[in-house]
Amino acid sequence: MAALSPHHRRYDFECDLDKALNRVDFFRLFHGTALRFGFEHFCVIQLGADQEGGSLSSKLVLHDLSAGLAETYDKRHRFHESDVAKSLYRSAIPTVWRAGDLPVELGDGATHSLLTQLGFELAAVVPVQATSGARHAVIYLGDNNDIHRQQHMELCYETACVFDYFSRAVLSIKTGTGLTPRETEILRWISYGKTASEIALIVSVSEHTVNSHTATILKKLDVVNRTQMVAKAIREQIIQ
Amino acid sequence: MTVTVNILLVDDDPAENVIMRALMRKVPNVDVKLHYVETVEAALNFIRAGEPRLDMILMDNRLHPQADFRETVPELRQNGYIGPIGVISSSIADAYFQNIDDYGVDFRIDKSELDPTAIGFIIQEFVDKGMGTFQ
Repeated sequence: MAALSPHHRRYDFECDLDKALNRVDFFRLFHGTALRFGFEHFCVIQLGADQEGGSLSSKLVLHDLSAGLAETYDKRHRFHESDVAKSLYRSAIPTVWRAGDLPVELGDGATHSLLTQLGFELAAVVPVQATSGARHAVIYLGDNNDIHRQQHMELCYETACVFDYFSRAVLSIKTGTGLTPRETEILRWISYGKTASEIALIVSVSEHTVNSHTATILKKLDVVNRTQMVAKAIREQIIQ
Repeated sequence: MTVTVNILLVDDDPAENVIMRALMRKVPNVDVKLHYVETVEAALNFIRAGEPRLDMILMDNRLHPQADFRETVPELRQNGYIGPIGVISSSIADAYFQNIDDYGVDFRIDKSELDPTAIGFIIQEFVDKGMGTFQ
């Protein structure tokens, strides 16, 4: 990943950001930030260009909610009708939501409080943007009463930094980017007809790692399956 | 619905087993069966026994007689274990932690960062139970 310049001020968290490699590392950073500012959970969601439907679970790109919580939410509520979702399309200013606040009128006479729906006392929502322009938001959830001004500003700044690294390291795998030596090695074994578990044994990594490298290769080569992957790789002389 | 997940903890300090067991009980919606061994050799025997089928191995970084994960994890991999392996350490600041992928490690986590939420996240991320909620 390209190094940033000192103009990109990252203060004392620069070292942790530079070291983050994978989704677990970004979980660690977001979860650590949530805890430091008095929250319990975080979720990073992707936002479309226009306000649209779509379940909460389909919008989550990284989160630490309990297993099944988002799916249970989706069975009962429509995320895009919630106050938090609507506010994200009204302004890109960060928002804070308290369970004790008066309900926000949503225009159609309805109020759908995300906090009530999820059962938390406080939410801080930080709209963020990837360098590709893709809009996202990081939602912190907890049971404190409020967050103070100074803390809120720090939370927003840190969130912008962590999300930037996350989007560049994990989300933005671009078509046409060169394959790493490990990816090329896995691609070669795929071309020999090996399965993911066989490749895991040969290369001495987990099957999960092989599958995640395979997904990256699919994206980088802009192909939809392993057959097309191998055909294109041979055509473009990535492998012989 | 609660799913059952089998995790093997490899750590030469039995106290860690007690701490980890307490943490695992607090993971919501997942019934974690934590199995415990003290050495890589014992871990290999556990894997060879085949029952129960492990969903994940969590390894302490430093296990005697080996130096650190750069020796222990490749040993598990060379013996045919292809499930997820996470390395736990009291500090992951050392430079060699940046090369976990080269040694067959799936993720690293600092001991101080391990809470029920972290364990819940790792299980959702790495254990496929084919239930929709587990990706």
